[in-house]
Amino acid sequence: MGTAATEPLLVCREVTKQFGALTAVNKMSFTLMPGEVLGIGGPNGAGKTTLFEAISGLNPATSGEIIFQGRNITSLPPEALCHAGIARTFQLNAGFDSLTVRGNVEIAAYFGRQNRLIPGLRIGRDVARHVDEALAAVGLTGKDDEIVGRLPVLDRKLLMLAGALASNPTLLLMDEPVGGLNPKEIDHVMAVVRNIAARGITIILIEHVMRFLVQLSSRVLIMHHGEKIYEGRPQGLIEDRNVVDVYLGEGASQRLGNLLKEQASA
Amino acid sequence: MSMRRDFIVGLVLIALCATLPLFIGMRYFVTQATLFFIWGIVVLQWNLVLGVGGIFSLAQMALFAVGAYATAMFGYYFQMPMVLAMPLAALLTVVVSTLVGLACLRLKGPYVALLTLAVAQVLYLLIVNDTECFTNPPSGCMPLFGGVRGFTRFGDLGFRDLFGSKWYIADYYVGLGLLALAAAFSIAIIRGPMGLAFQALRDNPGCAMARGVSRFKYQLWVFALSAFFTGLAGSFYAVHFAAVGPTAFSFSTLLFLLSMIVVGGMGTLWGPLLGALLLMGADEAMREFGDWRDIGLGLLLAGFVILLPKGVLGSLQALVQKLRAKA
Repeated sequence: MGTAATEPLLVCREVTKQFGALTAVNKMSFTLMPGEVLGIGGPNGAGKTTLFEAISGLNPATSGEIIFQGRNITSLPPEALCHAGIARTFQLNAGFDSLTVRGNVEIAAYFGRQNRLIPGLRIGRDVARHVDEALAAVGLTGKDDEIVGRLPVLDRKLLMLAGALASNPTLLLMDEPVGGLNPKEIDHVMAVVRNIAARGITIILIEHVMRFLVQLSSRVLIMHHGEKIYEGRPQGLIEDRNVVDVYLGEGASQRLGNLLKEQASA
Repeated sequence: MSMRRDFIVGLVLIALCATLPLFIGMRYFVTQATLFFIWGIVVLQWNLVLGVGGIFSLAQMALFAVGAYATAMFGYYFQMPMVLAMPLAALLTVVVSTLVGLACLRLKGPYVALLTLAVAQVLYLLIVNDTECFTNPPSGCMPLFGGVRGFTRFGDLGFRDLFGSKWYIADYYVGLGLLALAAAFSIAIIRGPMGLAFQALRDNPGCAMARGVSRFKYQLWVFALSAFFTGLAGSFYAVHFAAVGPTAFSFSTLLFLLSMIVVGGMGTLWGPLLGALLLMGADEAMREFGDWRDIGLGLLLAGFVILLPKGVLGSLQALVQKLRAKA
């Protein structure tokens, strides 16, 4: 336990992703300690999602190294990364639309925890328990039999989280978990994410809703044109001229300043 | 729960079919019903790839032909008893199908259809254009794969000796038994973890991979699994008609079977069987009309694609879901 706490969970070294002449992510380096919540922000097209794609293996990095729990995972396929303990959610409401809520989570609980050499004939009792736990953790209990294609936005976002949790992750990557939700719904997701973090799952989240980002993150990283322009405590954001200029703007940084003050006094 | 329901439905249907020849003993009816069982097996398995896996493979008739040819050749060249030749031919079909699946791994949508159709056409042309004599029996020159003539007299299941002129009734029950096994196999796959993986890859491959489902592995699985009973159906077809020739690759049969799946409901468990029943019935009803028969089938198919794209069973299921959501 003592040594584990000092060893980083994830290390990105000069991770670069090029699409032809376009460099979407340029020599990104950062280190993530176990138990942290790292928030990533930045304007549209900054390369945030591309960075996620590289870490989760769906679109591997062009160069650089990604080390997870001391193991080089740069070129592992997505299913192997899932088995290694990295789960992610998607910016768009990705799910298996023709299946039920339960079926969606069953896939993650059955296939996501370990490599199944030859799949069995039935979903076992332990898998069913994992599914129940994941659904309960996000508050979707009782909606088991609903067809995912017809779910409202909030439920689909929660379902993606339930799927990610069912694969028993050590590291959870969340891509805009509250994009398109109303303030009340954002509060609900925020409570769910707090619970997930409290279980000791390390989190990286991408979000444009600054209220969500600064209240949950222990550290914030701002990207612009594929590069890191800020890394540090959320409180430092509004004092950084560069971040205010390229991302926040004067109005938003003032509102953010007020929010941070309220948070500090509370 | 729903798996149990499906098995019960299946058992009831089989019991009904098993008593049918006692009431309608007409030879024409019994042999047509046997053919229905054969097509039923093929569409049930094809549906696993096409409907459940969402992979637009047209290789199924070629696999059917592989099963039929392998059986005939095992019997013709090695005098192998059919009871042994049939499962062996089915296993060979699994190998061939897995190779086809491997070739399709990096392809999507219509390109899979093109490649699999090309494989079928190449097999057909290789067989038909082969005129070199492999053996020279008294009946004349015999190319390795039978050439245009194909194979006859390669053996049977022995029912003609056992039951005399009533052998076709024994074939009926063999067909029914194979269909029952194929349906049980289909249920186990669709309602089990394997079916979940196939549907996940169909609905959203990126998300499925991120949840631990390997596309490579499960695409090979779906090709391999759907091939066994398809090959066995081809094998039984050859034994039942005591002949197999290049017509096994015919494009019109392929369209006929594809229509069954579309009309019945692609991706549903029982849809393809229902489609097979409906289309064979429609085909039968139009048999007096000569050329109009094909046109009639074409119109029927076009009508379904436009009006009921989910097929009979798929539309019914959607309706039930809608009513439930309202209630």
